[in-house]
Amino acid sequence: MVCSVVQRWSVAVMVAISLQGSAARGNPEIPGDAPQRPVAIVGATVHTVADGVHENATLIMRNGKVAAIGPNLKVPKKAVRIDAAGKHVYPGLFAAHSDIGLVEINAVRATLDFRETGSINPNVKSWVSVNPDSEMIPVARSNGVLLALTAPNGGLVAGQSAVMQLDGWTYEDLTLAPAVAMHLAWPAMAPVIDWDTEASAKDQLAARDRALENLREAFEDARAYAKARAADPATPKDARWEAMQPLLTGEMPLVIDADDLQQIQAAVAFAVEQKVSAIIHGGYDAPLCADLLKKHHIPVIVSEVYRLPLRRWEPYDTAYTLPARLHEAGVTFCISGGGRFGASMLRNLPYHAAMAVAFGLPADVALRSITLAPAEILGVANRVGSLEKGKDATLLITDGDPLETATQVEAAFVQGRPVDLNDRHKRLWKKYEEKYRRLEVQRSAKE
Amino acid sequence: MSARLQRFVAVVGPCLGWLMLATPLLAAAPSIRPVEGLREHTPQIHALINARVVVAPGKVLDKAAVVIRDGSIVSVGEGPIPPEARVSDLAGKTIYAGLIDAFTEVEVDTAAARGGAAHWNHEVTPQLDVTSSRLAETALNKKLRSQGIAARLVAPSGRILKGFSAVVLTDDSQPERVVVKDKTAAHLRLTVSPRRERDDYPSSPMGAVALARQTFYDADWYGRAWRAYEADTSLPQPERNDALAALGAHVAAQGLFICDASNELFVLRADRFAREFSLNLLIRGSGHEYKRLDAIRDTGRAVIVPVDFPKPPNVATAEAALAVDLSELMHWELAPENPARLAAAGVRMALTTHGLEDPAGFLKGVRQAVTRGLPADAALAAVTTTPASLLGVDAELGSVEPSKHANLVVTDGDLFDAKTKVLETWVRGVRFEVEPEPQLDLRGEWSLTLLDRKEPSPALLLSLKGKPLALTGAMKIGAAAKESDDGEATEPPSAKLDRVGIRGGQFSCTFSGEGLLGDGVVRLTAVAMPLDDDGHCLEGTLTLANGERIVFLGNRLAGEMGAADEVATAEEHAAPEGSAEDEAEDVAATATATTHEAVFPLGSVGRSASPEQPVAVLFRNATVWTLGERGVLEHASVLVEQGRIVAVGRDLEGPSGTVVVDLKGKHVTPGIIDCHSHMATDGGVNEGTQAITAEVRIGDFIDSDDITIYRQLAGGVTSANVLHGSANPIGGQNQVIKLRWGGLPEEMKFAGAPQGIKFALGENVKQANWGDEHTTRYPQTRMGVEQLMRDALNAAREYREAWQRWEQTGRGLPPRRDLELDALAEIVAGERWIHCHSYRQDEILALLRTLDEFGITIGSFQHILEGYKVADAMAEHGAMGSAFSDWWAYKFEVFDAIPYAGALMHNAGVVVSFNSDDRELGRHLNQEAAKAVKYGGVAPEEALKFVTLNPAKQLRIDHQVGSVEVGKDADLVVWSGEPLAITSRVEQTWIDGRCYFDIDEDREMRLRDARVRNALVQKILDSGESMASDDEKRKDESELWPREDIFCHGHDHGHTHVAK
Repeated sequence: MVCSVVQRWSVAVMVAISLQGSAARGNPEIPGDAPQRPVAIVGATVHTVADGVHENATLIMRNGKVAAIGPNLKVPKKAVRIDAAGKHVYPGLFAAHSDIGLVEINAVRATLDFRETGSINPNVKSWVSVNPDSEMIPVARSNGVLLALTAPNGGLVAGQSAVMQLDGWTYEDLTLAPAVAMHLAWPAMAPVIDWDTEASAKDQLAARDRALENLREAFEDARAYAKARAADPATPKDARWEAMQPLLTGEMPLVIDADDLQQIQAAVAFAVEQKVSAIIHGGYDAPLCADLLKKHHIPVIVSEVYRLPLRRWEPYDTAYTLPARLHEAGVTFCISGGGRFGASMLRNLPYHAAMAVAFGLPADVALRSITLAPAEILGVANRVGSLEKGKDATLLITDGDPLETATQVEAAFVQGRPVDLNDRHKRLWKKYEEKYRRLEVQRSAKE
Repeated sequence: MSARLQRFVAVVGPCLGWLMLATPLLAAAPSIRPVEGLREHTPQIHALINARVVVAPGKVLDKAAVVIRDGSIVSVGEGPIPPEARVSDLAGKTIYAGLIDAFTEVEVDTAAARGGAAHWNHEVTPQLDVTSSRLAETALNKKLRSQGIAARLVAPSGRILKGFSAVVLTDDSQPERVVVKDKTAAHLRLTVSPRRERDDYPSSPMGAVALARQTFYDADWYGRAWRAYEADTSLPQPERNDALAALGAHVAAQGLFICDASNELFVLRADRFAREFSLNLLIRGSGHEYKRLDAIRDTGRAVIVPVDFPKPPNVATAEAALAVDLSELMHWELAPENPARLAAAGVRMALTTHGLEDPAGFLKGVRQAVTRGLPADAALAAVTTTPASLLGVDAELGSVEPSKHANLVVTDGDLFDAKTKVLETWVRGVRFEVEPEPQLDLRGEWSLTLLDRKEPSPALLLSLKGKPLALTGAMKIGAAAKESDDGEATEPPSAKLDRVGIRGGQFSCTFSGEGLLGDGVVRLTAVAMPLDDDGHCLEGTLTLANGERIVFLGNRLAGEMGAADEVATAEEHAAPEGSAEDEAEDVAATATATTHEAVFPLGSVGRSASPEQPVAVLFRNATVWTLGERGVLEHASVLVEQGRIVAVGRDLEGPSGTVVVDLKGKHVTPGIIDCHSHMATDGGVNEGTQAITAEVRIGDFIDSDDITIYRQLAGGVTSANVLHGSANPIGGQNQVIKLRWGGLPEEMKFAGAPQGIKFALGENVKQANWGDEHTTRYPQTRMGVEQLMRDALNAAREYREAWQRWEQTGRGLPPRRDLELDALAEIVAGERWIHCHSYRQDEILALLRTLDEFGITIGSFQHILEGYKVADAMAEHGAMGSAFSDWWAYKFEVFDAIPYAGALMHNAGVVVSFNSDDRELGRHLNQEAAKAVKYGGVAPEEALKFVTLNPAKQLRIDHQVGSVEVGKDADLVVWSGEPLAITSRVEQTWIDGRCYFDIDEDREMRLRDARVRNALVQKILDSGESMASDDEKRKDESELWPREDIFCHGHDHGHTHVAK
């Protein structure tokens, strides 16, 4: 299955692949091995995202990078050739916001590592807690998700995130870019009255005001710390304020969770005042303040498209049309799909984009919103996000449009390393197919 | 003691608020109390003459006398005035019957119910009687009297079966005197308050109804059991129970029941409940009745409604306005019309102060209702004759007629006119002045003549203004003040008055003597002495700083009441006692026509009527996925007549008048059926307290207003299996619905769908994820779950046998009807289908083995995440599986859940469906079906059956729905493209041949709703009314119940990034 499109691999690579294939019968997936020679994908439709669609084209990978793309490319003699006629090549899908690797089973507290205690945690770093052997990872990449921002969340300043590539032995192998962003959950500006909110409206407003004050203080303290350290290098270290310095100097963006218009407006005002570069995550009401976002160059990570309207009175498709409305308004955006269900459902990322297409987003923009757009917004577009010469050879080969459900991902590469597309689900599937095969054999034997 | 007896019981003692007349009551009826001191025999005979008397609504005497003797009216009209009567000339005034507040509440001490033979559940205290509590609430009574209210119903608050109410007077006399009628009504409510403890049964509204229902059956059984025992004392003596005894007697006597209905749907629920037990029911409503006016009228029940009209929601900023629902805006506009609309519909109605933050705002509310269309006579009836009649006190209260209690309201004009003041409220012959005319009004200019003073003294001028009992003013030199008005020329010596006191007839103040009477502070004390001409003079003394005392005489200067004073007086009168302020303006501001037509439900995408059902509809030129033997038909037609499919094929023609829908190659499929939903119920989803709650019914709480219904129609869903949650091994009964948006709860129910019940296995029922304090309810393991199921089914079997024995022999005590065992017995009898929430293969297999033993076939396994591991056993049993397409990993027991499960089970011969269990997922079940194609290669047509025909089979409704075949209901979806493609959209959703969703109509409704929204926001901004602030935000109780299975929603991640 994995190598159905792989036709002219060298013997060595074929062995590696078949070993992985045998892993389908019980062993967890083994990280891909870097090919010693160039690999050429030949005859496929290559969707570069950055530079159009090339039909019947060849893509050459060398040293983990895309070396060349084009029709009638000369395939180097020593290259491994993959005949991909009728197949499609896409950049690896990129989930712009997730907790993959930080969560295994939601209901089992021992498996949760996304939220540190306290509300100001700028110093914690998500990537050091990413479990490379999480069962979530192979499941996500099975459907083409090869890149993900892994972010902590909860409290106020939740910590720092990293862009992870979803194949490798250790978290260091997985970490494509550490310290990509700082994460802040903007407090709800208006009280919530529902069955699971116990606090009164009044108490909620008081809590909001306290949170906003804590936030402002944190930024002031971090600045005061920088000043004190500059004046006197012997000033004792404070991990929190130290961690906030890249934010204050503008080197690191601040991803702010905000959906409601009042939250977004307040968040933008705060970012401008603090002179930090901001990214809105969630962004449900972002089209309502598109001009504000554009004026201050603030992009939006749409947390999910499969989402209910936040308000009873809103049209049923409000969340479905969100990407299209952002696109029309000219706001820079991408789609993460990591919102409500988190890591276990990251594999459905392309369907969030597809739903946006059903509700008005042009298909090419939708594809971009889960590949190049997240790379640009998160500052890693020089390395990933599109199929361009010199970028990482992180890509997939499919039998169709990944935005359609029935499409199968047939092969994938992370920095040129072939990815084992097996996963826990396929293992169990095969296991029980075997059970019913044996039952059938017994039944036939009896008859 | 009966209420009627009480009326004759003696009256003792004066009342508060009676100071001005200072006349104690006459003891007319005998009292058993010993007299302390001297006997009192003050005559209590009054004649109120020359008044306009509104005897009853529509019956007015222009100039009449009302004669009162010992608290009762003895004559009304032009009859002779008894010479012994005290006469009050009320020329220019109007007399109405004292108003009746049809519903107030008081907390009752439940200790009385806990003692004795109490009911096992503390929510059941029908035996409590409010008259055992203190009913004379002085402060409240004063406010009620300021509104003309002379009597009120007092009901016990809290609990489900609350106890008995009484009609009481609003004077402050002793308990034995205030009650007009005790045991007026038995009170109940069919819900509990949100956020109860998880283990306090009932913890949900649907649990509350189940408990109430069981209790009424128990009360009936209790009576029969005791009668059987009394006829044959050799039978075992039944247990005593005070609650059941009291309730049974009240039902048997056709006593009045009053049920709370906190929104319009609760009115219908209360009515339905009352019909089950033939109760004499009166509804205590909410002010939302206009939302389902016709249905409420059709119940034939009378309703007590409040006048607590809402403040406008906060729309001051565009951002804040986002949080305001259209229905809130509409309610703000329409709520004051609720009484008028009820009256116009012919609903009998009484009004109440209930719901008002301050009862002193009652008349303001009633007047607003009149301004908004409630005829004055109807308004008057709703506060006098109607409540008197509904509450069974029309012999005593409600009109100004002889032999009734002398409960009267005296006003200076029409009661419903905003400017009219309530002057007096009479409560059984006792006059309470609401706005006492000041007995002593010293305001004005006084010239003070200093007597027996040796030195020559200036003429002093005392100037008093302000309120009669809160005076301010100044002391001046008389002559100078006379010369220059407003002191324009020379400033005469003048001193501001301090420490002004007035009490009884005594007046005092201090002022600075400088320039007037030596240095230092002068103290003035005077007594106001009446003069023959009704005026007063002041006789008093001035005490100077040096101790000298000067006697003075003060005379009022004629015509000196300043214009400013009069304005001040007018303002005082505009603010009546209590709180209600600037009422005239408010009423005027909202007295305009409404901005929109009635829609159902109120709010966004509401419909003005049910979608039409054309005689015939022809869907033409479509790709039809029949999901029957004919497969997928290209360029085909579907003909629908009277809501049923009558033909499928090419070149069809409909009868004349057929509505033709040309689909130009679009796709038509059967309506989607969601086999696991929690939409459209506001009953709490889980009654998760006891391990078995088979008596609980989702069908008691269908919320036809849930916006989820419309949103899912927009995803092609036409039917859904609304299930109880998974908090307990045997949960409540399910309800299959059709998504007839705009209809009533009962109209949502899928006629012909067999009954079912929720079972559940695994982590949820063993409370694995409930936290550390939930570790004792049986079962805590899967072993225990297996035993509990077996035990329950055995109990059901034995219950059936016991009934059969009794029905055959009639021997012994009559068996008790146990609604929990009833439901379980129906399972054993094959009349109720189990839908079992299930995860792990072991528990699935164990349940199958248990059911096999009892000869029961399971209705469906729900979730069935590891069903793929035992698909052979499922197929053998005939078990069907309703699964998630691809959810996993949210709990430990779903770590082995795989998206290939559907395909594996399908291939093993199991009928498989994919369900949502989720308001969002339910909107694109077609896309979930497509995952069966992706994961495991199920053929597209078979995959589409996972969300149509197969769930129909699992719910045993496949003879009616699930495929596009002749004879089935015309439940159809029109898709813009191939139905399994994500990029296809639902364009139309039809149920019973009616179009419930249409993408073009949806666009129009958006525009309509936006227009109404803007108009209402403008109306609020124009009104100038103060808006509700953010911290005042609250919601209807029914909105505070979960709309999902909270015990199942580990998959809802719990740390969503979304800010609420």
